[in-house]
Amino acid sequence: MKSERKSLLAALSKMKSEGFDYLVKITAIDYVDHMDVVYMIRSIGDIESSKDEIVELSLKPTDLWLPTVTNIFPAADWYEREMSEMFGIDIKGRNASRLLLEKWDGTGYPLRKSFAWDAPYKTSEDKK
Amino acid sequence: MTITRINVGPVHPSTGGVVRFVVDLDGDTIVNVEPHIGFLHRGVEKLAETRMYMQIPPYTEKLDYVAPMAYNDAYVGAVEAAMGIEPSERAKHIRTILLELQRIASHLFSIGLLSNDIGQMFTVFMWAFKDRDMVLDLLQEATGSRMFYVNMRLGGMQRDLPPDFADHTLDTIKYIEKRMFEYAKYMEKNPVFTERMKGVGILSREQAKELGVTGPVLRASGVSYDVRKNNPYYMYEKYHINAKTMQTGDNFARYKVRILEIQESVRIIKLVLKGLAGSEGKAEGMPVKLRSPNPVNRISIVRRELPRGECTMYLVADSQKPYRLSIRSPSFINLAAVSHISKGARFADFFGILGSLDFVIGCVDR
Repeated sequence: MKSERKSLLAALSKMKSEGFDYLVKITAIDYVDHMDVVYMIRSIGDIESSKDEIVELSLKPTDLWLPTVTNIFPAADWYEREMSEMFGIDIKGRNASRLLLEKWDGTGYPLRKSFAWDAPYKTSEDKK
Repeated sequence: MTITRINVGPVHPSTGGVVRFVVDLDGDTIVNVEPHIGFLHRGVEKLAETRMYMQIPPYTEKLDYVAPMAYNDAYVGAVEAAMGIEPSERAKHIRTILLELQRIASHLFSIGLLSNDIGQMFTVFMWAFKDRDMVLDLLQEATGSRMFYVNMRLGGMQRDLPPDFADHTLDTIKYIEKRMFEYAKYMEKNPVFTERMKGVGILSREQAKELGVTGPVLRASGVSYDVRKNNPYYMYEKYHINAKTMQTGDNFARYKVRILEIQESVRIIKLVLKGLAGSEGKAEGMPVKLRSPNPVNRISIVRRELPRGECTMYLVADSQKPYRLSIRSPSFINLAAVSHISKGARFADFFGILGSLDFVIGCVDR
């Protein structure tokens, strides 16, 4: 299901009221000219029934921010933090928290396509 | 109220890997837990974008070094879905058997360490590791390796099972089945074990869903969701699995679900072994070459039930390499719930809670 940033919270709230109350994962994909963010949600039925749904939206590389969905799905907390560290997507509306993965010496956002994977790793000793 | 702050880790025998917890205590009661992860971050998702498809299984295996084959299967399954390859009937039988054996080995590992964590020292630990070794013997017989297997190929396995494998497996799982009753008798009648397990670290059904926990942790809170049952794959389509649930959501329920799942795995392996002899098709998959067939699907989403919970592979496929591989690891989200679960518990019970969550740090950090 396609969504947009301004209608994201309303769409997710609506789906949650329809029984999709389990968040599987939030992830992002960098397509260079735009960035896709994917919310995988699930409705776990009572007996032997479950439905999976995907809500996705596109962001422009110059305008990378999203509202937090932790008020709807508390499970989103670590996924949002990981996504903002790995892709540099600013998550607005959440309390400032420390880095989820421990601080490292490099700069940039590792899972973006512009991040060179084979750049020689520099420690803080090397930089002095 | 005075808050005492205690640092646990990064290297600690009960944390199952390199992870640090900052625990805030009021007297002996836990007020807050802040897990610090990332010490074992290897960037597997980024590495996957730089390797050819069949160069990646050795990396995905090392995510969960207690159940490597299960992770491998999830990755190879995603690539197969992207390329539109369907494994043969025989390969499906073999995968189901080996994956269930891997689940038994992993659960035994977890039960053994858990009993150590709560102070029931060494007896169950030695039992579990001895029994796990017998399962590893079987996996070695089938794959040639005890720890890292790399035996999944596109459309099948690296090689067929050896001729006596079915008999050996049957002997071993009958023994394991008998042992499970002994474990239960020994542990559940022991006050050292029950007093520290029952009613400790309770996670309610609603909380479990909200926090998104998965696998045995979710089922111990009474939510009946198992990928093998709800989105069946391989032989689970034919031989239906029963999702084992408990209602209490405490440490004891999480332990008990694992015992029940081992028994369920034994049942499924027996059924699949019966069908193995008559299964058609070639067990061997495509040999590993650098160039693989071109994918037909741009995006494939594959769900698998690993011993620790559900893994979702979100694969965006390019011609010879993944464009993006996003891994939903079960331990990551189970560890995120540790703060909620241990609030209000005593500090001495914290390690029992960690043990019952059964996370592997390689899987958390990726």
